[in-house]
Formats: sequence, structure tokens, C-alpha cells
Amino acid sequence: MIDVTTYIRPGSLEEALDVLASGEFTPLAGGTDLIPHARGRGPRKMLDLSGLSLDRVTRTASSIEVGACATHSELCRDAVVTKALPLLSKAAALVGTKQVRNRGTLGGNVVNASPCADTVPALLNHDAVAVLVSKDARRKVPVEAFITGPYATCIGPNELLTSIVCEPLEKPTFVSFLKLGRRQAVNISRMSLAVCLMMDGKGSIKGARVSAGAVFPVARRMREVERLLAGESPSKRLFAEAGALAAQLMVKESGVRWSTPYKRPVLAALLERALAEAASGNFGEQ
Amino acid sequence: MKGPQDSATVARVQVSFRLNGVSFRKRVPVDWTLLRYLREGLGYYGTKCGCEIGDCGACTVLYDGVALNACLILAPQVDGVDIWTIEGVAPQGERGLHPVQQAFVERGAVHCGFCTPGFVMSTIALFLETRNPSRQEIKEALAGNLCRCTGYIQILDAVKTAASRLRDRDLKKFVSRRR
Repeated sequence: MIDVTTYIRPGSLEEALDVLASGEFTPLAGGTDLIPHARGRGPRKMLDLSGLSLDRVTRTASSIEVGACATHSELCRDAVVTKALPLLSKAAALVGTKQVRNRGTLGGNVVNASPCADTVPALLNHDAVAVLVSKDARRKVPVEAFITGPYATCIGPNELLTSIVCEPLEKPTFVSFLKLGRRQAVNISRMSLAVCLMMDGKGSIKGARVSAGAVFPVARRMREVERLLAGESPSKRLFAEAGALAAQLMVKESGVRWSTPYKRPVLAALLERALAEAASGNFGEQ
Repeated sequence: MKGPQDSATVARVQVSFRLNGVSFRKRVPVDWTLLRYLREGLGYYGTKCGCEIGDCGACTVLYDGVALNACLILAPQVDGVDIWTIEGVAPQGERGLHPVQQAFVERGAVHCGFCTPGFVMSTIALFLETRNPSRQEIKEALAGNLCRCTGYIQILDAVKTAASRLRDRDLKKFVSRRR
């Protein structure tokens, strides 16, 4: 038995925001996280978002707006996303199972705010901004600030996440997304890394973006590592240094835990590998 | 067939949907999953109830042409949806099994059988995407279905066998008009 007392499926955003204004309803997107967690946690009123057409991907001159209800499967096959946001596409492909990817949404992954959410590190590398709409207001919050803690965000009870706006990176940028887990499929991330290397014409790294999931209490950019990489030429030694720095940051921020003796060398090696993969251009150029 | 406990406190929602090619118009309880409604509301017990948290795939159904876990869908969400379960897979009014079912039988892919309906539905969903999947594509499509009798090799072989025999008309009825 799911603890649902009321179910509403509005056909327009206006109607949905009117219902949400009461502050009593839980927005239901794919439900792949929400429905299993709606057992035995007290009564809920569900607001089904599937009638709002929030699953579209729109390209503007400078950015790409992904509807919050786009499913992971749609992110894997959408021509705009796979071309301009390959990290997001790859991250989405590694989520859960086929059945979960067919149903689970980008907005749900972000609002659920699990520290190991796969799409979040990819979004951070694209300076993604969450668009939050309520009956009387509309605001934009960077995804990095939107997620305030493990399973916590700054969304209000009357607000709806309608889309996420991503900035494509300047060319040429080499990217890589690596996920570490116990097995290949149906896998909760132990660690995930999204890497972008923006190259200058002479083979040096002009700038870098490196985001980590399941490493810190909240997924975040590792700007310390990005600064280390900027202006340097790609080399095994540089990437090893970057890995070591990332491991240091993790221990400093997340503290020494039972998993630290494992995670410290593994994070260092994984980042080194992700950087090497990106630099090789094998993963894909954006 | 067991009906839901009807009490004044259980809200219901009117929905119309197609199940295995037949149109239904029903009032469904808002606090039931599609899985529970299929089994206890309509008596379609072919869709199995395993983990109920979207991990095991035993409840996989075709939902507007794609594989979904029925345990992660609320019954009122099915309004307007085209659903296929294992009961609708074999050709109606004919003897015999669907080529996917036949291949599972022949290749020894059915052991205790609990996971089989879910595997069959995931396999049909895969064929709706690609008629000649590679072994890797098969693995990815079936990763959300668990078999505790360790029959994966036989299951992969069965999917390969089914792919080699499939004709257009074996998939026609599963193609959703909504996609």
C-alpha cells in the first residue's frame, strides 16, 4: 500500500501551480524514487506532472533547456543532448536499469538530491541552472546552490522545478564521465566523476571542469583541482597530481570514515583515469 | 477475482486504458500501484510481485511500448495508456506461444519461472527498439531483470534465438499508437 490520499493530474502548468500553492502536494514525476519511499512515511497528496509537457529539450542561441520531466532514456537518445551535452547523456545512460531510465526523470534525479545522483556531476560541469516556478514567482538557482545537503534542496513546497538550463562548453573541449560501483548495471554509484578539458590551439589545457558525485556530502565542482590543471600541458604526472589533490580534498571535507582507506587511492586513480580518457579524446569531443 | 477493500476513506479515480488490446474503464484506488491493481484488482497474476522497489524487474510490463516496472506506477496514472502483460503475449485465438516465449522454453531459459514474465516483456520491448540486438544490447536491456536460478546464459541465448525467428507480425500488436 502506498500512502496516497489524493491524486491529481492537471493538464496545464497554471493549474498545477494553483494546486501546489496550498503547499500540501508532492509533485510526482517518474516516481522511481518517490513511490518506493511513499510506503509507511505518512499520507501524501500526489500531483502528477505527466500532463504538463515538461519533457521537451529546447536549444537557444547560448544554452540548452531540458524539461524537468525528460526521462533518462530521452536524454540518452535526444540528438541535441547527445551532441551538445554528452556528459549528461552518458550519465543518464548509467542510471539504474532500462525500466528505471524509461520512467525516471532529470528533474526527479535533481530534486531527490541523493549524494550519488548520476546526472548531477554532469550538470555541474555545464553550469546548470534550475528553473523554479510558483504561482506568483519564477526564480533561477544554480544546481550547485539548489542542492543544499544530502537529499535536501532549497525548493519551496509551492514551487515546481520546470526545467534545467545548461551551458554548452566552448570548443574544443574533451570530456569524460566515469562511474564506479560494485557492478556494471543497476548500480548505485560509489563515486562518479565528470571531467571537461577545454583546450587551447597549442595542446595546453585552457580551463578544466571537474565534478564529483558520492565523494562529498553533496556533489560539487572541485575548483581546487580545476585550478591545478588550468594552463598546464596534459601529462601523466599532472593527472596523478590532480588525483592526489582530489583525494586530499575528500578526506578534508568528508572526514575519515570506514571506507576512507579504500576511497582515497581509488578516487585518485579514478580521476587520473578520467583525465587521461578525456585528454585522449576517445570519449568524445564536444 | 478479489476486489479492493472499498471504504469511504479510499479515494478512487476514473481511468480509461487498454490492457492486452482490450479497452477498460475503471475506478481505481489512488493508493494502489499498477502492479497491485493488475493482480488483485483485475486478476492478472502473470505479472509477478518481487521486490516492489523497482530493482528486480519481475513486474515489468509494456507501457506505451516501453518496459516499465509496474510497482513504480500508481494505478491512477494509467489513464490513456496502452499496457501489455504476459497474458497478452501469446497470439490470441491461436494455439501456441509467441516466438519469444517459445525460444525461452526451447533454450532452457525458464527455471522456476518467477522472473520469466518480466524477462519476456523486457525482451519484447528490446525488439520494439531493435530487431537484431547485439549480446551487449541484450545484456543492457535485461539488466533490470533478475533471475535467481542463475539462468542468464540460457536467457541470452533465448533472446538471440527469438531474434532470428521474429517476423513483423509478431511485434505489430505491441506497437503503441501513442509513440
